[in-house]
Amino acid sequence: MRVDPTYITSLVGSLDQAQANEQQLSTELSSGVSITSLSQNPVGAGENVRLLSQIQQDDSFTQSASMVTGQLQVADSALGSVVTQLTQAISLATSANNGTMDASDVQSVGNQISGILNEVQSLANTNYQGQYIFGGGETGAEPFSTSSATSPGVTSYSGGETVNNLVLPSGQTIQLNVPGDQVFLGSGANGGSGSVFGALNALVADYASGTVDTQQAVTDTEALSSALNYVSQQRVTIDNSITQLNAASSAASSEQEQLTTAQTNLMQADLPTISTQLSLAETQQTALEDVIAQLESVSNSLFSKLQAG
Amino acid sequence: MGTINSAMSMIGGALDADQEALSVVANNVANANTTGYTEETPNWQENAPITIGGIQVGDGVTETGATSQRDRVLEERLDQQQQTAAASTTRLAALNNVQTLFTPDSGSSSATAGDIGSGITSFFDSFSSLESDPTDNALREQVLSSASTLAGDISSAANSLNQQSAALNQDAAGIAGQVNSLTGAIAQLNLEIESTSPDSDAGTLEDQRQQDLSQLSQLVGINQVTTENNGLSITTTSGQLLVSEGQNFQLTTGTVNGATDFFLGGTDITSGLAAGGGQLGGYLTARDQDIPNVLNSLDELAYNISTAVNMQNNAGVDLNGATGTVADPLIIFNQPTQVAGSAAAMTVVMTDPSQIAAASTGNGTGDNSNAVALAALANQAIVVGQTPVNYYSNFVSTLGSTVSEVQAENTAQNASVTQLQTQNNALSSVNLNDEAAAMSTLETSYQAASQVFTLLNTLMASALNLGEQTTVA
Repeated sequence: MRVDPTYITSLVGSLDQAQANEQQLSTELSSGVSITSLSQNPVGAGENVRLLSQIQQDDSFTQSASMVTGQLQVADSALGSVVTQLTQAISLATSANNGTMDASDVQSVGNQISGILNEVQSLANTNYQGQYIFGGGETGAEPFSTSSATSPGVTSYSGGETVNNLVLPSGQTIQLNVPGDQVFLGSGANGGSGSVFGALNALVADYASGTVDTQQAVTDTEALSSALNYVSQQRVTIDNSITQLNAASSAASSEQEQLTTAQTNLMQADLPTISTQLSLAETQQTALEDVIAQLESVSNSLFSKLQAG
Repeated sequence: MGTINSAMSMIGGALDADQEALSVVANNVANANTTGYTEETPNWQENAPITIGGIQVGDGVTETGATSQRDRVLEERLDQQQQTAAASTTRLAALNNVQTLFTPDSGSSSATAGDIGSGITSFFDSFSSLESDPTDNALREQVLSSASTLAGDISSAANSLNQQSAALNQDAAGIAGQVNSLTGAIAQLNLEIESTSPDSDAGTLEDQRQQDLSQLSQLVGINQVTTENNGLSITTTSGQLLVSEGQNFQLTTGTVNGATDFFLGGTDITSGLAAGGGQLGGYLTARDQDIPNVLNSLDELAYNISTAVNMQNNAGVDLNGATGTVADPLIIFNQPTQVAGSAAAMTVVMTDPSQIAAASTGNGTGDNSNAVALAALANQAIVVGQTPVNYYSNFVSTLGSTVSEVQAENTAQNASVTQLQTQNNALSSVNLNDEAAAMSTLETSYQAASQVFTLLNTLMASALNLGEQTTVA
């Protein structure tokens, strides 16, 4: 049987391949990345794109959530102050309604309630980073203003009715604001049931003259109580959003951690395996070099054995 | 009856034959490392016997030249396999260049993001962030800057692909000249072979022709047809005549739609050449099929993202309370008119971040519902029935699979070439051991013939002197 006399060439080819293999393994070892090109692991490369995208989404949501939490906390604290103010107004009104005060005391209660009205209005006009948080979609200007041209005075709302939502990575939505008229003007316009400003304006008018129409004042005080309940209900909406947001934010953080682990497992070079492979490749290279050196050094042709003459 | 004279003439012929055979061996050893040389073996022929007085007597030996050790079928298979392997090697090199543009991003946070996939996510995430405070200028700036990053990543990838395509085009065009000079040489060799050895192997001329065919096979896909008088016709794989015996047909190039096309006798044979094999086949496949496929995917991505985002932004109200008009639409990206070329041309045309329409019509500028709608595009099937990130993810998987397939093909084809090469070398290469053995055999045979000649010479002298020790020695 005849053989290919140029077998050393093919051995050199194997040597080249062993060296290329070592180079690839060294690259993986030094970069710590197992997928350095798409063709190495096409499915893994595609998976990597999706994992990175989800990780980024979670990361970005966590940042948005912390910004939004600030805004919701400002709203919550404003409503908390409103509740305190209204509780005080109710207790003032109740003491004025029991018929033991003289005219000047009643007027003084009226002035205090008027002060509370101003305070509540300024709380209703709270802004966060320049945006009026109870203005619905119209966040550029103060949504509430009171006119004392009539008696009782009229507090009107110039904001919008839009509710902003934040969409979670899961697709759920969280309510970010409550339009001011829903909180402070109740179900109807000025004077409707549950209207904070309607009740306050009415009480201010009730006590302005110093003589109290007790029946009217008691009705108005009860209206303020029901408005207070209504504000508390609206505050629950904000509190719920804060709770949901915290939960979603920590869920996103833990998902991000899990995905990062998955992504690291996918992309990170398996160092022990690669080191072993590298060592095997090196052994192979040494062996090939030895074989080639041996074949080159022993004269591999019969010519060397021919005796001259 | 044989005579001493006839014996002497026979042994003289044997010495001549041995010398000629030795020179064949010497030629083999001399050409042991010559590329394309085919080992030759001496031809021995027994001379026709003569009948004298009813008795048949042998008449010695003649050396009738040498025969090249060649297997045409094996050589043709090797040529064909080389065409396939050269095509996939060239295509693989081009695809490897393509895939470096889409190296997987190993980073795990948006800070290290640098590829198109992260670009898409960052862009849509910037709308999600805008939901939290639609009037915030910093968040609006963030939308425009991530839009610029995305558009820059996509358009620079597309431009690089166009450059790679142009380089392949140039490489392909350069091959036509090499093909023409080889086919010219083969036609010339055909004429010489037909006139010198019409019925047998033409030895070194044949070696040269085979060497040219082998080189031609690296360049372009061909079929060989042996014609009468040992001539050869060559066609491209798709059947167009390149060489007909002594005549070769020039492969010419011309520009069609901005790319170099190849013509033979006025016929455009580019698509046939692309599928045919050889380096040219590889260049053309990469230029006309692989790169356009990748570009088309990027174009779809750029076109659909730009269109969907522009349309949604234009449907809303910006921070100034303005809505888009037909003459002056509220668009973020330049609006492409067709899919082709969208990727290379993708840019951000919006300069004022307040023009981002976070609010829906009629809801006041503090509204975020259009920002919600813009962010939601990330999860909608806006790119050929898939979400943008999934589309990109499938795109990189597909590209990776293509490269990996071609890699596997190429490895298998190269192994096959090596195997055929080994078979062919076993038959046709000069094996120095064989030559040493032949040399040794011929030396012995020459020495034996010399001895016989000396003996016959003595016999002849004895015969001439009739046993006396006299003048003739």
